[in-house]
Amino acid sequence: MTGRGRRRAVSPHHRLGLLAHLAVFAVTVAVLGLDSTLGWIATVLNVVFLLFFFRHLGFAVAAARWTERDLDAPLVGAESFTPPVAVLVACKDEELVVDGMVAALLALDYPGSALTVVVVDDASTDGTGARLDAWSAADPRLRVLHRQPGAGGGKSGALNDALALVDHAQIAVIFDADHQPEPDVLRRLVRHFRDPKVGAVMGRCVVRNGVESSLASTIFIDYLSGYLVNEYGRQALFELPAYGGANCAVRTDLIRALGGWNPHTVTEDTDLTLRLLLDGRRVRYDPSAVDFEEAVLSSRRFWKQRYRWARGHQKCLRDYWRPILTTRHLSPMEKLETMLFLWVYHVPVLCGLGLLLIVLRAFGIGDQSAISMVSLSALLFAGPFTELAVGLVLGRVERRAVWMLIGFIPAFGMSILTATKAYLDGMWGTLYTWSKTARSGVT
Amino acid sequence: MSRVENRLNATLAKRRWKPAATPLRRRLVLLEMLGAVAGCVGGYLLFIDPVRRFEVTLASRIIDLLGVDRVSGALGDGFVVFGPNLEPVVAEMTGSCSILSSVLALAALAVVALRQRPQALAGFLAAAVFVLAANQVRLLGSLLTGRYFAVDALVFFHDWIGAVLNFAYTLIGLLIMIGLTMYDAQRAEQDRTGRHTADRPAAWARPGLGHRVPVEDTREPGVQITAVVYRRILPKAVSRRLARRREQRRIDYRVGHETPARRAEIIRELAGKGLGVHTATLLAVASYETDPLVLDTLAGVVAARQWEPIAGGDVIALRLWARAWLMRAPRQRSVAETGRLVAVTGAGGPAGVAVVKALQAAGDHVLALDADPDAVGLRLAGRGAVLPRADHPGYAEALLAVLDEHRPAALICTVAEEYAALAPLISAMDERGVRTWLPDPATAERCLDKVAFARTMHAAGIPHPATAWTPATVGLVPGPWVVKPARGRGSRDVILVDDPAALGHAFASVPGAIAQTRVTGREFTADALVGPDGTLLACVPRWRDETRGGTSVRGTTFTSVAVTETVAATLRAVGLTGPANVQGFVGDSGNVTVVEVNPRFSGGLPLTLAAGADVVGAYLAAVLDPSAPLPTLGFQPGVRMARHFAEVYYAADGTPVPDPLDPVTCSVPDFPAATPGVPSPSAPGSGPASLQTPSPVRAEHSDPAGSVAANGPAAYRVPGELLAAAR
Repeated sequence: MTGRGRRRAVSPHHRLGLLAHLAVFAVTVAVLGLDSTLGWIATVLNVVFLLFFFRHLGFAVAAARWTERDLDAPLVGAESFTPPVAVLVACKDEELVVDGMVAALLALDYPGSALTVVVVDDASTDGTGARLDAWSAADPRLRVLHRQPGAGGGKSGALNDALALVDHAQIAVIFDADHQPEPDVLRRLVRHFRDPKVGAVMGRCVVRNGVESSLASTIFIDYLSGYLVNEYGRQALFELPAYGGANCAVRTDLIRALGGWNPHTVTEDTDLTLRLLLDGRRVRYDPSAVDFEEAVLSSRRFWKQRYRWARGHQKCLRDYWRPILTTRHLSPMEKLETMLFLWVYHVPVLCGLGLLLIVLRAFGIGDQSAISMVSLSALLFAGPFTELAVGLVLGRVERRAVWMLIGFIPAFGMSILTATKAYLDGMWGTLYTWSKTARSGVT
Repeated sequence: MSRVENRLNATLAKRRWKPAATPLRRRLVLLEMLGAVAGCVGGYLLFIDPVRRFEVTLASRIIDLLGVDRVSGALGDGFVVFGPNLEPVVAEMTGSCSILSSVLALAALAVVALRQRPQALAGFLAAAVFVLAANQVRLLGSLLTGRYFAVDALVFFHDWIGAVLNFAYTLIGLLIMIGLTMYDAQRAEQDRTGRHTADRPAAWARPGLGHRVPVEDTREPGVQITAVVYRRILPKAVSRRLARRREQRRIDYRVGHETPARRAEIIRELAGKGLGVHTATLLAVASYETDPLVLDTLAGVVAARQWEPIAGGDVIALRLWARAWLMRAPRQRSVAETGRLVAVTGAGGPAGVAVVKALQAAGDHVLALDADPDAVGLRLAGRGAVLPRADHPGYAEALLAVLDEHRPAALICTVAEEYAALAPLISAMDERGVRTWLPDPATAERCLDKVAFARTMHAAGIPHPATAWTPATVGLVPGPWVVKPARGRGSRDVILVDDPAALGHAFASVPGAIAQTRVTGREFTADALVGPDGTLLACVPRWRDETRGGTSVRGTTFTSVAVTETVAATLRAVGLTGPANVQGFVGDSGNVTVVEVNPRFSGGLPLTLAAGADVVGAYLAAVLDPSAPLPTLGFQPGVRMARHFAEVYYAADGTPVPDPLDPVTCSVPDFPAATPGVPSPSAPGSGPASLQTPSPVRAEHSDPAGSVAANGPAAYRVPGELLAAAR
């Protein structure tokens, strides 16, 4: 272990960087003229979109070829490999969903002597704590940790406190409060830790409340493609899937050595993925280790959730791009893929820029790109649509669901806005803390 | 180092440079994408001119049909349009105006991502036709705009509105292509909101394909195009053939819904046609099945068909699976704890011990109760308590105190004599959250009192030995005789009498004696479970090949319609619910005689559990939720039991003393493969035992009665099928 994956201190803002971007643009305009500069920007954007299009297409091709068989593949040795596991869940004001979560955790198929379940009540102000206490009284397998108000650290802080309670566990498996894992999920996740190189394993999250709103059913399809195609493709082609923060397992000795979950980020999952890679470990992905979670139901909640993801993910790029480019644990191809992965939440920002260039071009401002703007507009959608389509086929979803893909066009539009706002806020250093996702608790 | 070794090392050194699997996958996908790009570019260069001309010709003909003048496609690859003021303009049909790039992109996508889907070609053709039609609309719109409004309007419409239209119809074409390659509602596994719709059993479902909630189909039945094609258009023979193929693909959906017995039968039937015929279904069984009996069956049939020429790679995969299954090592039993505590009375008896162990095996915690401080069940269970005997006045108080202390979720009574003492305590136990299920006291009494039982049997017309319970009538019973107490258990005070002169003395020496004609034939016990509504849920007959102290120490399960019918009639006559064991004899002519019924689990219960009938689990489920539907329990006939002594050591203060002979791991006796090197008795000399049908236990007894079904591991019966008429 090199210790390179430990948390690092980073600057709270990047205003100089933002200023540098503007300065470079101004200088280029001064030298080349506005039209020519815009034409060159459009060309560069097209190259970036082309790169991402082939990345997504590659994932779709890989998933179409191998995913279905992987879902069907029988388990090997899941019965005999049962290291001590601690299931950790952080809850804050989750009384609507906590019962379903605890019931699912207590129904997990794993030897009782090797399983500890710790649920953290992170200073909830509703009935979450009381419900957890009642569950704990009824079933001694459940341990409840009540955190005091102001304990800090958000989800990461709660998980770090829970980790301190489970000395004997070799593997920590993390769920969120709205998650309901399938009974066999622990055995499926844990089996990958036979390989000592593996630091963490990610399972597949499936939306269970698609019936509640059209947005939720759109997110259900988004998750299908995200997990069955994108995450699967990253593993199949680069062995670089991401640890996702819930329905995932990590070695306890490793997470302790790395200093625990990072409380200074709102996407502790991406942060941990990168720290594991920098430490020379690997993340694995198991599409057959399934748990069910709630999707947000309104555009407002969707905006808040995706803003948090974009903000945290973009911060990870700013925090880690240098160590990733210099680490000896990744090959050049793996470094490229990791950088593209970290660029994912910047691509919508570039899409917004591209659309702006198209509009300016319509008014006669800016030169024609070396690559046609029509191609640009097609590539904006072609890659994600291909992933979504393959996800629908692999998920064996009924045929009429295909028309729901049209609903992704406004969703793409929204992601352009959320990612752009997150980018500007992040560069400017606007204060941002953990934003809890509201639940419905209906399903 | 030899020359061969040198060559090997040199080859291995070369192989080190061979890329690992992930770069190879990457290379493969990259090549596919490059191929797709090359196909698009090459196709564009090759076909752009003919396609442009074709589109111009098509648009011209449509314009002619519409009767629009001043628009001509005579140039071949462009149009001449005369605007409102007759100013001419040549609208060239460029590559970006053509559908070719969209169609090629769709084709490339179909090839690289959807080629494994059977409807990919049809989907692509439908999408291409749609894109062609939509582009004609775009062209016509542009031309008519130029013709009727202005030439500039033509350019604007074509370049900007047309670009949006191009994007829209290409996207819709993509959706059409994808939609046609997706599954129809019947074959899909989830609907568009993510609810599981395939209705597969949990163990057989692909992981994560849909959330399991009740789904009501509220859709109006519409016209099914496929159904119309099948019923009205295709010839009957073709339609039937296609339907058969479709059903064949769906077979694994159906198999999973059947009972284990039926699944095993289906597997034997499918494999009987040859492993290459239904290989996908057999592989699905190997992948999803969790019932060891069904897996044993599959491994057995695969092992039995090793003569077959290999039909494909999947058959080899199947054989590899079967080999691994038959060679599997003993494994540590790991059962998820239920978190329940269950109290078991009579934990010192064989039935009590069997119930304690069955509950522990299912993941329950056990509170063992017995009157004997040295009762072995107290050492086996996690918790234990000593109670007074049931006929002691302090029994109720002591029991309730123990229940107060431990708060078990349920109480299982394995001693029928305790029923009378427990019946008045049911409400007190309910208040403490302790559920139990006792038979009606009068019914239990009817079983325990052999005189009342004999009267019931005779009244119901069920074969039962002639019985006398008074000195005056004892002489009327034909001999030879068995004299025993009217209330007794475990062969205590049982005297066999052959000499008529000794009958009186025997009758007088046994307290509360009855005398019965001694029945000849083969002795059996049937372990039964009757649901609260009187339904016979389980009936597992087993031969009592050897008994000690009234408890079977050697036995073999068997199937017999006559025995099962008689057992059902007996239990119905006495009106018993819950666990029971019915003892009797099968005569040489196949006649079945019932001797007695014990309204409790039997001492030979482990054999019934080993045969696959989890009567303890089903009974506990009914105790905890009386309204829950209970399954009918099947069992495997021909399973034999040979009992041995087992020891538990403990110090005077009750502290456990380690067993020096305890193995580190224990094997799970789920019908492991036959002992290597010992030929299977059913197929002597036909190969190594590990490749024979895996069930090592076979019936060696010939069928004594015409109505007794042939024993064997393949025969697997569910009492419900046999007793349809008896209920």
